[in-house]
Amino acid sequence: MSALIDAPQADAAEIRSAMEYYARREWTDGLPVVPVTESYLAEFLASTSSGPDEVLFTMPHLNRRLTVRLAAINAAMAGCLPEYFPVVLAAWEAVAKEPYPKRGIWQSTTGTAPLLIVNGPVRGRIGLNSRGNVFGSGFRANATIGRAIRLTAINAFGLRPHQLDQATQATLGKYSACIAENEEESPWEPLHAEHGFDPSSSSVTAMVFRSCMHIEARHTGRPEQLALDLANSIRRTGSLIHEASSALAVLGPEHAALFGEAGWSKDDVRRFIFDNAVNSRAELAAVGKDALSRHTRWRLPAGHPDAIPDQASASDTPDRVPALKTPSSIEVMVAGANNAGVSTIIETFGMRGDTPSIAQVKDLDV
Amino acid sequence: MTGPEKLLDPTGLDDRAADNTLAPRPAGLRGLTVGLLDNTKPNAVPLLREIGGELRRRAGAGRSILYTKDYFGMPAADDLLKQIAGECDVVVTAVGDCGSCSAATVADGILLERLGVPAVSIVSDSFLVSGGAMARVQGFPGYEFVAARHPVASLDENQIRDRAQAVMPEVLRILGVES
Repeated sequence: MSALIDAPQADAAEIRSAMEYYARREWTDGLPVVPVTESYLAEFLASTSSGPDEVLFTMPHLNRRLTVRLAAINAAMAGCLPEYFPVVLAAWEAVAKEPYPKRGIWQSTTGTAPLLIVNGPVRGRIGLNSRGNVFGSGFRANATIGRAIRLTAINAFGLRPHQLDQATQATLGKYSACIAENEEESPWEPLHAEHGFDPSSSSVTAMVFRSCMHIEARHTGRPEQLALDLANSIRRTGSLIHEASSALAVLGPEHAALFGEAGWSKDDVRRFIFDNAVNSRAELAAVGKDALSRHTRWRLPAGHPDAIPDQASASDTPDRVPALKTPSSIEVMVAGANNAGVSTIIETFGMRGDTPSIAQVKDLDV
Repeated sequence: MTGPEKLLDPTGLDDRAADNTLAPRPAGLRGLTVGLLDNTKPNAVPLLREIGGELRRRAGAGRSILYTKDYFGMPAADDLLKQIAGECDVVVTAVGDCGSCSAATVADGILLERLGVPAVSIVSDSFLVSGGAMARVQGFPGYEFVAARHPVASLDENQIRDRAQAVMPEVLRILGVES
């Protein structure tokens, strides 16, 4: 027998016909979606005090706006449970506050994806993973909350690949990218508390990101060596399209503890990385990125007809070219299992020293 | 338990009325003022100036006025579009050669048509589908625009002249003038 004795019965053909309807209409990200009707939608709308016609996010240039009702339909299709919906709504609030999504970045050849970071007690309440396999599969809340954003981008904003979404390659996080912070194994205050939120509140931080880089550093117990390893990964020339870049360091608990036990604050980590995420003028010249375009301010070779000098050229040390604009161009958080010296550098887009976009999760008691 | 119900539409697209009316076409271009809308992408201005020159040579168009929009990834601001519509008889806008700017260039054309000015949007042919998708979300499926062979940004002066020559028949056709 290949069925458990207490397995329920279902009409698989009927379920499949509903899923194939969505696929035929291209209302999917390629994976099957959950069929949604008014009665199922009502459970999502009951989880929030926001009205169904409230507008969450507008893209005037696409002539489209996202209402609570549309966000709920797509969240349900993505496989969210109704109790996840307040987190999805906070995610939209955070995305809407970011400068880039409303300016066409989701259509761009750069091929970014929205990264969601969840803090606070809601993590435990809905089973969001912050520990082992934090970027991996296996956790419904992470998988479906992240997916809800992508499905909505496709369906409600029309951002289909090969059409309005012109990403050249995109990033592997495009199906879904939602992680929680491992606050319990961090030596520091959590991300949202650092930016003024009550640590007992729950929040979602949204960041546009380009790539995830694995930093395997099991070799050292010295904070300077570890921080330099991180800085060298951040300053890589391939990420320098603009004058400077920005990053999120997702430290594994072991790396975070190494810094914490050495007495380093988050700001100490940031400051050290900022001071050392520096390329020499010669390194940039070798890859043709030693000047800026007068039009776009993107990096290009000094010999190009549109070239103007970068800001470092006018400094006392013109041969040292910082890859970050300020120490706050790097955010620091903790996630993953406390079992090895592994961290990740996430290359973010646009967060160049400004406060990240964070929204509180509301209606947790509805 | 709830019985069968209709599956819901996740797009919200039915909320909006389509408007696929083109601006009235002039009988000819003789003496008409041509707006050239630069989206700041490399080679947009040389390409637009070549096309402006060709419209004078081939169809007797009058002077050209060059406008520059703020940010290539978004349609031009309402004020600028209104100014262009007030000062020009027809408009050419270029060049959509990236993900967001191809769509925005097509949106500029549609918005100008809705302000009553015939407009030709030029995108590189790599971004034909993104322009078409923008026309659909703007409620103007089938809006016609011109595809120039990709790439445009890296071309020199002579190559830009060739690109301009190549797109002229389509530019004239969309403006309602046969060459």
